[in-house]
Amino acid sequence: MSSQTPIVVVKDICKTFKIRGRPPVHALKNVTNHVDKGEVLVVIGPSGSGKSTFLRALNGLEPIDSGSIVIDGVELTSPKTNLNRLRQEVGMVFQHFNLFEHKTALENITMPQMVVLKRSRGEANEVGRRLLDRVGIGDKEDSYPSELSGGQQQRVAIARSLAMTPKVMLFDEVTSALDPETVGGVLDLMKELAADGTTMVVVTHEMGFAREAADRVTFMDFGEIIEEGTPEGVFDNPQHERTQLFLSQIL
Amino acid sequence: MDWILDFYNYRVVAQYLPEFARGLGSTAWISLLALAMSLVIGTIAAIMRMSPNPLLWRIAAGYVQAIRSTPLLIQIYLIYFTLPALPLLDRRLDELEGGIIALGLNAGAYMSEIIRAGIESISRGQVEGAMSVGMTYPQRMRYVVLPQAFARVAPPLLGQTAVLIKDSALVSFIGVFELFGAGLVILNERLMPNEAFLTVAACYLAIYTVMLSVTGYAQRRLGGAAA
Repeated sequence: MSSQTPIVVVKDICKTFKIRGRPPVHALKNVTNHVDKGEVLVVIGPSGSGKSTFLRALNGLEPIDSGSIVIDGVELTSPKTNLNRLRQEVGMVFQHFNLFEHKTALENITMPQMVVLKRSRGEANEVGRRLLDRVGIGDKEDSYPSELSGGQQQRVAIARSLAMTPKVMLFDEVTSALDPETVGGVLDLMKELAADGTTMVVVTHEMGFAREAADRVTFMDFGEIIEEGTPEGVFDNPQHERTQLFLSQIL
Repeated sequence: MDWILDFYNYRVVAQYLPEFARGLGSTAWISLLALAMSLVIGTIAAIMRMSPNPLLWRIAAGYVQAIRSTPLLIQIYLIYFTLPALPLLDRRLDELEGGIIALGLNAGAYMSEIIRAGIESISRGQVEGAMSVGMTYPQRMRYVVLPQAFARVAPPLLGQTAVLIKDSALVSFIGVFELFGAGLVILNERLMPNEAFLTVAACYLAIYTVMLSVTGYAQRRLGGAAA
């Protein structure tokens, strides 16, 4: 799969959080990475390692200080780039779902299609219903987010992203806020997406998922990429001391 | 039962029903237009007030302070008499226009503070959710932030609307005929203050009751299940 031009190319990105009265935090230090078409990249690492910042930089939710990010040939950091236009192509699923609270499950999926992609209501409804079926909650289209469980809300959020037919999907600890019994279902859905050839970047603490679904695993700590490789390589034969320590703590 | 006729002669009130109907209609119409104006101005001022651009937020802050620190009656006179004296308009405002503009500008300042509180109460996650599907700033505001913000602050907006409706009585000072004016007719022609102002008060109460049910409906429409 890595023979073609990668969809995402990240080169030397740096990000420092400056909070007054405290030492600056270097969230990203010269991070370089890439994601090929159809590839599933899983980013793991301890809290505060910069993995979420890395993910959020990929659709410009977190502006970076230096370096470059190119999404399917478009330079994200260039001032000429229309970030909103680019975000249509980069789907994102959040830890806390971020569904539109005032819209039903179906409306959450149709509204962005009509507003951003200018699809007709009929077409948007068709896409919306098909996707709700696909994520396994076709019977919940009229429910508001507050009436759905965390797992169901996350399925709607995934469907909302898919409706935009993005070139790459970002998953930011999407099961961390879920009840334990709903985690498995959401992870299974993500595995299905991966198997269908969706290009995905997944930040997660679910090592089982990483091992099973990842094409490549990146371990980050202190804002740097410490180690990366195949799931087998990283999990069964970690080379770096910090990777070994991290894995021994969580596995 | 004679004391009732002494205290409140509904037969006289019945004679003046056309005046009260005209006054009620006028007050409702003035209030509705001023309300619409105040919500538009309030929303714009709230968004300007939150802008990182110092020029924009200073203009909005100055407007709110100027309105809050001066009496409405003076604002009405200023809009009606003083504004047309500036070389901006090539004609005078009529009483109705002047009254509506003054009321709308006045309520807009108070509305903007309420609307700003509503916008600020919407979580960052809602905005990021909208950004992640590629919505532009105006789209995020229109489809995600403002509907939820308005649903959330509907009760204080309703309270401010009640103030606006009551304040609309002040435009009778520049000669607009409305509900209060209708009461003044009975007072002047019959010297019957009870009949005049109990009736006027009841009419204001009626407007408020209608408004309550409309607000409940709007809140459910905007806010989804949460509201």
